[in-house]
Amino acid sequence: MSVAEEGLLERNKDTMTLNMGPQHPSTHGVFRVVLEMDGEMVTSSDPDIGYLHTGIEKTGESKLYAHCIPMTDRLDYLNPPGNNLAFCLSVEKLLQTEIPPRADYLRVIMCELTRVASHLLWLGTHALDIGAMTVFLYCWRERELILDLNEMISGVRMMTSFIRVGGVMKDATPEWIAGVKHVIDILPEKVDEYESLLTRNPIWMDRTVGAGAMTKEEAIRWSMSGPCLRASGVDFDFRKKRPYSRYQDFKFDVPVFTNGDVYDRYRIRVEEIRQSREILKQAIEKLPDGPYKVDDNKISLPDRDKLKTSMEALIHHFKLVSEGVKVPAGETYVPTEGPRGEVGFYIVSDGSSIPYRMKLRAPSFMAIPGMCAMMKGSYIADVVAIIGSVDIVMGEVDR
Amino acid sequence: MNSEEIIEKLKSAKGDKLKDTEVTFGDAIVHLEPGSLREVAEFLKSDPDLNFDYLSCISGVDYLDLEREPRFECVYEFHSMDKNHSIRLRVGVPEEEPTVPTVKDLWPAAIYPEREIYDMFGLTIEGHDEQKRLLMPEEWEGHPLRRDYDLTREKVAFSHNIDFKEELVKEKVPTRYKPNQV
Repeated sequence: MSVAEEGLLERNKDTMTLNMGPQHPSTHGVFRVVLEMDGEMVTSSDPDIGYLHTGIEKTGESKLYAHCIPMTDRLDYLNPPGNNLAFCLSVEKLLQTEIPPRADYLRVIMCELTRVASHLLWLGTHALDIGAMTVFLYCWRERELILDLNEMISGVRMMTSFIRVGGVMKDATPEWIAGVKHVIDILPEKVDEYESLLTRNPIWMDRTVGAGAMTKEEAIRWSMSGPCLRASGVDFDFRKKRPYSRYQDFKFDVPVFTNGDVYDRYRIRVEEIRQSREILKQAIEKLPDGPYKVDDNKISLPDRDKLKTSMEALIHHFKLVSEGVKVPAGETYVPTEGPRGEVGFYIVSDGSSIPYRMKLRAPSFMAIPGMCAMMKGSYIADVVAIIGSVDIVMGEVDR
Repeated sequence: MNSEEIIEKLKSAKGDKLKDTEVTFGDAIVHLEPGSLREVAEFLKSDPDLNFDYLSCISGVDYLDLEREPRFECVYEFHSMDKNHSIRLRVGVPEEEPTVPTVKDLWPAAIYPEREIYDMFGLTIEGHDEQKRLLMPEEWEGHPLRRDYDLTREKVAFSHNIDFKEELVKEKVPTRYKPNQV
């Protein structure tokens, strides 16, 4: 029974208004929430967002499709390949192109590596918020390996812009594949290590079990997505339910927990790291040969060495860089599963090479009203744990 | 259910309320007038075969440059968690009467996207008790995602223009980058 149901909120005493943020370290960015407190208990919470509003949706309306991809990196800055993929899938649906298998596998590998990195960053900072300092250092150690792999393949550690319309930026090198294999090899042992620090830790369980609990119906009503939805007992993952980018080729489980509290959200993300590792293992083993982008010079750039010998390739290169991809008129939306939940771009094209409208469906943005519903009736100390457990990224909340 | 069956089911129950239906790239799409949104939305939520219990997102579009009537469009994307199907409602909103009814009571998660629609496009959400700006500051003028709202930039203080305060004006970006100008 929650505190609100027990009638503890009916005491009618004077309440205190407490401002939290926007510079509070546990809000992971610039999130401000005004809490109405009755003693130690939150009676209502009023979120205030928009501090990080950058107008990316507006800027996108004046940029070529290729120029939008680096901007999508910066929306959810912990999941750049996932955002690139969501954008590219929508554009490719309008273009009606078939992506070669190798490109799809490389996309999956990048997305799953980033999912692991994002969950590691979440685990480290979430544990730090609650007071477990050591986990943070361990998580950073493994995340660093993945960032190094990003640098190896794309030249950038975080904002990779690796996934492009029509394929990926460049082919995988043997060194990179060896690096991914190394991460796959060490990951199970490391995840066990984090779990040995937290899962049965009585202090951790005291702080997290039962805090911010959300039922299945509530989670659906408040449009929670990703790990928060599955922690409440809804078995819904776009990778399984509506496979994109050949996710149907891989065998993996979707972890589902039922209590929907902070502890279950922690368990589910740890389990997802393990399942991402399974996908990575199969993807590296089965990585097909072939081209890494579509063989259509109206969509993807011609190979560099062709430019010196083929006049046609040179013209295509010039046209594609200066004018961009002409996307047929229409509108579409493709949902994908990011580390935080459903990510998708609603794109309206008018037939030119500039999106008429690009709208991001951001899981963190949709989760904020639900997160504030969780806070109601909880103790002030749990607010930090709840904000951490939902894993909001302000870059995509404010856009 | 697949997209065609969803459209058939909706047509048989609420055929007179729908302006147009289509299945494009496998997605079920329904065009509506703002007046019939509430009734169709209630049916989508309550019908046991459809059971659209999950609101994915609400996007606003301003079709000013394409000279399409009506000017604005609110696009609602719904999923069903147990049936695993989706539908997209495209509600055309005329410029003369820019109002759409709220769906906040059916899907509480609509509270933020609807406020965003008001903030970015200036459409009034009928029945929304908390109609105020969400991302932009309270005192902001204009609605930034309208197509007639120009891209602007502000001067920022650096060491070379530390006395910039007198020239703190928004300026238009010289040309919008369009392919036919290249």
